[in-house]
Amino acid sequence: MSYLSILNLAAPETIMVMTALAVLAADLLFMRELERGTRQLIGAMIGCAGCLAAVAWMLVLPLPEPGSLMQGLFLVDPLIRIVKVALLALTIFTVLISMEADFTQHIGEYFALILFAAIGMMFLVSTEDILMIFISLELTSLSLYILTAFNKRNIKSAEAALKYFLFGGMAAAFTLFGLSLLYGISGSTNLAEIAKAVSGKSVNGLDPLLIAAIVLTVIGFGFKVAAVPFHLWAPDAYEGAPIPSAAFIASGSKVASFFVFAKVMMIGFKGAEGSGSLQAWMPGWVPTLAVVAAASMVLGNLAAIAQSSVRRLLAYSAIAHAGYVLLAVMAVPSPLAPHTSPLGPLVYYVITYGLTTLGAFAVVSNVQQRTGGDRLSDFAGLARRAPLLSFCMLIFMLSLAGIPPLAGFFGKFYVFTAALSSGGKSLGLLWLVILAVAMSAVSLYYYLLVLKQIYIMPSTDQDTPRPLSIGSQAIVFALAALVLILGCAPGLILEPVMSAIKVAGL
Amino acid sequence: MENFFFYFFAALTLIFAFLVIANPFSNNPVTSAMFLVLTIASLAGLFVLLHAYFLAAVQVLVYAGAVMVLFLFVIMLLDLKAEEERHIRAFGLGAGLISVGAIVSIFLISLLKAPLLSNPAPIVHGDTLALGKLLFNQYSLPFEIVSVLLLVAMIGVVLLSKKELK
Repeated sequence: MSYLSILNLAAPETIMVMTALAVLAADLLFMRELERGTRQLIGAMIGCAGCLAAVAWMLVLPLPEPGSLMQGLFLVDPLIRIVKVALLALTIFTVLISMEADFTQHIGEYFALILFAAIGMMFLVSTEDILMIFISLELTSLSLYILTAFNKRNIKSAEAALKYFLFGGMAAAFTLFGLSLLYGISGSTNLAEIAKAVSGKSVNGLDPLLIAAIVLTVIGFGFKVAAVPFHLWAPDAYEGAPIPSAAFIASGSKVASFFVFAKVMMIGFKGAEGSGSLQAWMPGWVPTLAVVAAASMVLGNLAAIAQSSVRRLLAYSAIAHAGYVLLAVMAVPSPLAPHTSPLGPLVYYVITYGLTTLGAFAVVSNVQQRTGGDRLSDFAGLARRAPLLSFCMLIFMLSLAGIPPLAGFFGKFYVFTAALSSGGKSLGLLWLVILAVAMSAVSLYYYLLVLKQIYIMPSTDQDTPRPLSIGSQAIVFALAALVLILGCAPGLILEPVMSAIKVAGL
Repeated sequence: MENFFFYFFAALTLIFAFLVIANPFSNNPVTSAMFLVLTIASLAGLFVLLHAYFLAAVQVLVYAGAVMVLFLFVIMLLDLKAEEERHIRAFGLGAGLISVGAIVSIFLISLLKAPLLSNPAPIVHGDTLALGKLLFNQYSLPFEIVSVLLLVAMIGVVLLSKKELK
């Protein structure tokens, strides 16, 4: 396959690579002498322009003829396009949030690494080949490790990055081991080919090697999405990393990882589902995920209650949300209703969750800039100092808890419905859905703890606070508006996704 | 004969790898690095048995040669002292043993139950010509992504090793 056809199909990614290089070069060549604020503004503008150009390319130009480049190494279809546009939107918001950052002098490098991480995620979602999945996963992870370590004046940032890196290295080894077993079983790196080889072998029960492959792959991806018991890096990384980096780990990386996780499981391990129903437990990847999901929901929600740092609280809430999303991954369409793909609810859930958590981090960033901390007590009396910001935090927290009419409610609703309808009439995953609903109720408690500090507790500091910049308020407000709008009109995402799934034939 | 060599090199790899991280006789980082060289050399032996001669040569030249020299440079530059004995917490030990035990049992069960493959993998053509053709035709896109990955690694190293001015 020639380079020209790669350029043609992967044009958005190419645009992004060139943008990253342009940000890097512009900062290093022309802007050394300028003030920091100007450098940040110019860097962010170049980055946003690149992202917008990539989005415009995907929205305006028609799809290239359906088909895959190089035997499934790189795919272009409407569903992938939607996910990529969402990833780019999250990237733009992350870049805008980092404009306020004051933790580093290396501005060009910071923006370039955000863009490189986004490139890794874009490749990650547009492939069905385990070789490409591994390489793009590494590109994303490597960029995120460096982004985590970026605040060199803060020892916590270094600790967070080291933990993230060591856990990530182990997880990559497990992923590689699992994927190489898959290659050994099937002799192919393409997910569909693997599924063909896998399903032919299950004469009586599963191929034992396949079980090992399932476990190892789940360990690897479980680390990426921070599911229990592979979550240990998440609270430290969320707390120690610079806020824009933490926000990007929590939003963009989650969207891409969940999408590809679901694809690997649904396409690659097709025919090895087993059953997670309590009455008819059968080995396969669904029961494996069921255990992980149940543990994530219980431990994430219960541990979040005990936190006093809002960032750690958001980390444990992210672990709990990983459990909910895994429900959608497990919701394999039953043979009775093959047209209800769970990918639709999954994509809606992760996109709205990404937007919400990004907004919550933006609010935390504002508070931390003024009070110097992210303890719960630092939020005390925020409503009197910054009413608009507080209202936005109210929206984000209630959306994370799943209160209608916000996006978080509909995300959970669709995911739980998909999980219920997956087993046909037997309602195999009912126990997980009941657990998820109960745990959502628990989660309301700690989200309300944050809101209680903001709205009820009296303010502790007597000084007149520094006024907020208009720009950062506008970003938070835009994110809150998006969460509200997508909640009131879920069809805005869901309908294009559903029609795209029909086109892709998943 | 091939079987014998496989078990020989595999055992050597495991023993040396164990000595890298848990050497009962020495806590010196330099000793660990030297055992890593031996681990990599025995891995190269495994690659030879798979007829991947190029990969074996690269393994010795790049990893055992170049990369390990850099490792030793860094260790000596930083003047690392022998690592002190750490006391291991009971909870950590228990959790570690349980998770390792679980994974080992999964592997053992899989290995014991797995049927012998009816069609063992064909001999790989691991020479440079075949590799180059694959790399620049079928796998040109991953190849390009790896180049971006190396750029990211380079930026990261420069950034993290640079002294912060303020």
